[in-house]
Amino acid sequence: MPLIEVQDVSKLYGFGDASTLALDEVSLKIEKGECVAVMGPSGCGKSTLMNIIGLLDRPTHGSYKFDSKPVGRLRPNQAAKIRRDSIGFIFQSFNFLPRLTTLENVALPLVYKGVSVSRRIKLASEMLERVGVQNREYFLPGQLSGGQAQCAAIARALVNNPKLIIADEPTGNLDSASSLLVMELLADIHKSGNTVIFVTHNPELTRYATRVLYMHDGQIVHDEKTALGRVATTARKVLYTLPAAVNEDDVLAGVSAIMKAIPSKLTTPRPKRKKTKAKPIKRTAAKKRRQS
Amino acid sequence: MRKSSLTRGHFKAGIDAVRGAKLRSFWTMFGVIIGVVSVITIIGIGQGVSRQVTGQIHHLGNDLITVRPAQLHPGGDHGNGSVSLLSDSSGLSGTLRTHDITTVAGVKGVAASAPLTIVTGKVTGDQGNYDQGFVIGTGTDLDSLLNQSVAYGSFLTSDDEGSNAAVLGPHAAEALFNEDVPLGRSFNFHGQRFIVRGIFNNFTTTPLTQETDFNNAIFIPNEVAQDLANNAAPTYEILAKPSNPKQVNQVADSIQRALDRSHGGQSNLSVSRGNQNVVASQDILSLLTKLVAGVAAISLLVGGVGIMNVMLVSVSERTHEIGIRKAVGATNRQILSQFMVEAATLSVIGGTIGVVLALAIDGLMRAFTDIRPAISWQTVVLAFGVSLVVGVIFGTIPALKAARRDPIEALRSE
Ligand SMILES: Nc1ncnc2c1ncn2[C@@H]1O[C@H](COP(=O)(O)OP(=O)(O)O)[C@@H](O)[C@H]1O
Ligand SMILES: [Mg+2]
Repeated sequence: MPLIEVQDVSKLYGFGDASTLALDEVSLKIEKGECVAVMGPSGCGKSTLMNIIGLLDRPTHGSYKFDSKPVGRLRPNQAAKIRRDSIGFIFQSFNFLPRLTTLENVALPLVYKGVSVSRRIKLASEMLERVGVQNREYFLPGQLSGGQAQCAAIARALVNNPKLIIADEPTGNLDSASSLLVMELLADIHKSGNTVIFVTHNPELTRYATRVLYMHDGQIVHDEKTALGRVATTARKVLYTLPAAVNEDDVLAGVSAIMKAIPSKLTTPRPKRKKTKAKPIKRTAAKKRRQS
Repeated sequence: MRKSSLTRGHFKAGIDAVRGAKLRSFWTMFGVIIGVVSVITIIGIGQGVSRQVTGQIHHLGNDLITVRPAQLHPGGDHGNGSVSLLSDSSGLSGTLRTHDITTVAGVKGVAASAPLTIVTGKVTGDQGNYDQGFVIGTGTDLDSLLNQSVAYGSFLTSDDEGSNAAVLGPHAAEALFNEDVPLGRSFNFHGQRFIVRGIFNNFTTTPLTQETDFNNAIFIPNEVAQDLANNAAPTYEILAKPSNPKQVNQVADSIQRALDRSHGGQSNLSVSRGNQNVVASQDILSLLTKLVAGVAAISLLVGGVGIMNVMLVSVSERTHEIGIRKAVGATNRQILSQFMVEAATLSVIGGTIGVVLALAIDGLMRAFTDIRPAISWQTVVLAFGVSLVVGVIFGTIPALKAARRDPIEALRSE
């Protein structure tokens, strides 16, 4: 039985002329124990999909079953409890409370579960040890390096022993050494039996995935099983056309290369529904940046 | 167990927010501080004043009977003590005459009585002219009628009747002779020498005549006063006390009837009892109390609005924090109670600071002014309690809005 079952999910932002179709009838099943990489250009709906799967947001249309229970229309408090007990979310920008120590931040999900202070400290401390930043417990988040912060964020995501870990561009703010550290940690978590979904722009990182989803314009355009330790086939086509460096422009170039590499679906896109005015503008902006 | 650790967590979060955002916390507390300080101070002053006033009334006793010309309303058109002088010169029947004094003294059931007669003229002592002072002709019972004790020497006795003896208010003694105990010294009045027999203790009360301060008064025997003024000195008041305090009403009626009779049916004199004045001033006091309560309520409300304002800013500043907390699984109720605890913490701290400040202001007022605020523990509890309630309510309203935020929407802010 799949852990995640998304059926015809759409997400519409805004109203009328100003509306954006961020997800366009996406269907997706993820089994327990998978490690899924999600790739695709900026604005294609990756974060929207992650937020819906992570119960931070609700789909406009379609159904979503998490652990066999329908959760697409949950009331906010019920969603909060599932987030607390079953889902660990890792953000690109860490999202720590700046005035709490790292230890207190990691213990935060336990606070809302009603765990006693001493037990909270013990569990959070163990978790920080597991991710290798136990010597930074009493630092404020602002005093951590990017890599340490993301490891601590992983500790926070893990502290409630969730069924699912979602990481939305966890390495987006990190240098390549820290990126590898963070990905090794996620791989470790996956190996110990957890289900992991992560978003990345870096084809190299598909090595850590058992499956890669490619998204474009709110749709999943390609879904590929891959072996651990190997760059996914589609992603690889891109990788070897790229220089080794991973700055933002290269990533964008890489992404469009991926799109070219995907044969059928993308070159003949489905007739579109409501589309924004904002989106084309965004894409030309991206193009301009690339040209300069 | 679960509950308590939850609350502890929130308390911790509350404390932390207080610790972290000192300036914001200060402004939140500022509302409560202002509210508590103003409530305690205003109610304290109000109660202090009413205590002083009721103290005076008590001091004079409820059984004091006052006879005055009927048209003469204390503090009326003219607004000072000399009003009786003017009404006297009109020669109407509403004037107290020498025979009225004997009439009152002769009424059955009257234990003591004394006139208060004003004699104009310059008083000259060692220090030269004493302009602030005034001379009052009166009887030997005045001290007991006013419940006023003599500090040095004695009050006028029957031996002094017709002789040039005088008893001074403490300020008059000071002004005339520049010493505290000028017993046996003398001063000049209407070309005659007067010997000082006694000095009153400080008058805390101004007996039923608002504008005359008896601390400045010089008391001489009434006959002497009338002689000096060729029997034209106006008596503006006769005070009397019944032998049995319970019969004050009957005795007052008897006095009224006796006066009417001696004036041939209608005297145009009014006889009032001390407690009639008490009733009147208690009306004023309860009005005053209501006014004070109103002002206090408004200041608490202002404090509450202040808290709400700061909490509103705080909530919108902290939307991102709310997003993070919700993302890791905080429910709306948990967010709400966090803000409530925070508001309560700020209110308690602000309330405590407010109480301390109010007590300091009380001390300063006692030290540097003659206001004597009366701060009761009930006032402190009321101010503290209401500010806590107001703080929590007004602090929680914006949090209600914050708690309902979508987690992802909240996370996107900043
Ligand atoms: N709150 C929002 N309001 C309006 N449009 C939004 C909102 N969030 C995302 N979008 C739009 O939805 C699309 C998908 O966004 P997102 O899922 O963040 O893309 P990705 O994470 O792949 O870069 C984008 O066009 C974006 O502009
Ligand atoms: Mg994104």
